[in-house]
Amino acid sequence: MRSGLFLVIGVLLGLLVTALLALHGGGPLETSALLGMPLGLLYGAVCLAARYPTHAAPLGRTGLGQVAATHGFGALISSGGLLIAGNILSQVLEHFPRYQGTLALFRAEAPTLSVTAVLVYLLAVAVHYLVMALESARDAEVRGVESQVLAREAELRALRAQVDPHFLFNSLNSIAALTSEDPGAARRMCLLLAGFMRRSLVLGSRDRIPLGEEIALVSDYLAIEKVRFGARLEVAQAIDDASRDCGVPPLILQPLVENAVRHGIAQLLPGGTVRLDTRLDGDHVIISVANPRDQERTGTRGAGVGIENVRGRLRTLYGERAGMEVEGGMDAYRVTLRLPVERIVAAPGPAAAVKEASHVVRG
Amino acid sequence: MSSGAETLRVVIVDDEELARRGMRRDLAQEPGLEVTADCADGFEAVRVITESRPDLVFLDIQMPRLDGFEVLELLDPAVVVVFVTAHDEHAVRAFEVNAVDYLLKPVDPERLRVAIGRARERVRRREPMPTAALTEAARLPGMPTSRILVRDGPNVQVIPIDAVDYIEAQDDYIAVHAAGKSHLKAQPIGRIETTLDPARFVRIHRSYILNLDRLARIELYAKDSRMAILRDGAQLPLSRAGHARLKELLQA
Repeated sequence: MRSGLFLVIGVLLGLLVTALLALHGGGPLETSALLGMPLGLLYGAVCLAARYPTHAAPLGRTGLGQVAATHGFGALISSGGLLIAGNILSQVLEHFPRYQGTLALFRAEAPTLSVTAVLVYLLAVAVHYLVMALESARDAEVRGVESQVLAREAELRALRAQVDPHFLFNSLNSIAALTSEDPGAARRMCLLLAGFMRRSLVLGSRDRIPLGEEIALVSDYLAIEKVRFGARLEVAQAIDDASRDCGVPPLILQPLVENAVRHGIAQLLPGGTVRLDTRLDGDHVIISVANPRDQERTGTRGAGVGIENVRGRLRTLYGERAGMEVEGGMDAYRVTLRLPVERIVAAPGPAAAVKEASHVVRG
Repeated sequence: MSSGAETLRVVIVDDEELARRGMRRDLAQEPGLEVTADCADGFEAVRVITESRPDLVFLDIQMPRLDGFEVLELLDPAVVVVFVTAHDEHAVRAFEVNAVDYLLKPVDPERLRVAIGRARERVRRREPMPTAALTEAARLPGMPTSRILVRDGPNVQVIPIDAVDYIEAQDDYIAVHAAGKSHLKAQPIGRIETTLDPARFVRIHRSYILNLDRLARIELYAKDSRMAILRDGAQLPLSRAGHARLKELLQA
């Protein structure tokens, strides 16, 4: 890429110097080309090298005087260098009878050549500044997108780590109601709630968890809601065992199941069944959460936020490799996730690591 | 039992059975109360309350099909209502602003006692519920209503907003015209206007709100006097301001 650029610029500059010598100086074409092309190539390299002083004196962060001095000096040195090189080359050519008069031609054109060289050098500096500006703009954009992605993921985790206040207060209300009529049930409910909260805190701090653990979490959640809704909430699960150790982002199903209860079952007087299915399809795992819903859908305020968060997380984490489909019929609702299968290798705990280390020592 | 205080007749409304049982048990500890019914949904609540006319209702906000505010809208304002919610910051603000009592789940028995005392006072003073102001304050801004609820005796009728042809003011009532029928509701026309989608419903006259979909044409009736002709042939008067609003919407 860079050498290609160098050749193109060098040849163009070579043609420029040749033209200058032949047309302006009236020299023979062959002599002009023999002198002009090497000088052009040499100057092409100089122009590309102008990148360094340009980067050393970025605009905006360097005083104008210093910028002018740097590039003025650079232009003079380059131009002078070109003259010296031209002079040497002319003297070499002068030795051949065929190229008699080269030196005279070069000396006659030296002033024009030096002015042109200064201008070309300054033009190169300007181009370098332009490229620098474009590159930094693109870098800033890339950095911006990256930090946005990170921030979004962190924000979603924080959101998910928070327990839905409706869920918490309603559960506490169920416990309060049970304490006098069935203390044993109240105690079980406390344990379920504590287990669910602990599990969601632990899982939420990891990058990927086995699908089986996520399913255990939502099962706890549904067990708690079942105490509250009684016979109104039924749960049906069809879990493909092979899907249990697929890695999924933590708390990715939880908002979907929460939605199914809050905007589905809770809005139906007779209640209904929340259905959770998983299966493998080639190198994808398909997970779906389905629930009946009220045809009039009156209590759906706030619905959709959780779903959109899940969609956003999948996009952030998987890009095009994962998909999410929402089917909303008149009286039913289903969200289907399609994630690439990532097998989770059980991370060695501290104990395993120690064992391994001692093994190495003995071996 | 406190001397001379009349027994309050109480109805509990909550869609969760466990919560209803809990409330019943809590209220059983309080003197001077009689729980006459508990209801699992808003339709049943409106029927039971309209027919049995209790003094006090404990009304859950989040319920299927009809929420607590919709139930309130359909009740006689003389019935004292104490709202019950697990968590609804928006509603709680509306209660505070309108001096309406509420309980948070799980319910603190001390707090329940205070609420009963206040309700008793309200019943004694015959202070009506500020239904209109409260439902307006509790409504989420920018969310036009999707249906109009009217009470026909003890029964609730749900009129989907798409079915409404026009709404006519009749003193402090409105007549909602839908599918050839007219339903009367105790609500000033200005109040319902604010709950409707302004892109679909336009106040064409002091006494009329029109569903834009139903407009067939506008006819000049006399100088400076126009009529809106609906698809079903009905004719509604257009005020000058109403005509201007209508034209603006039609051009948009």
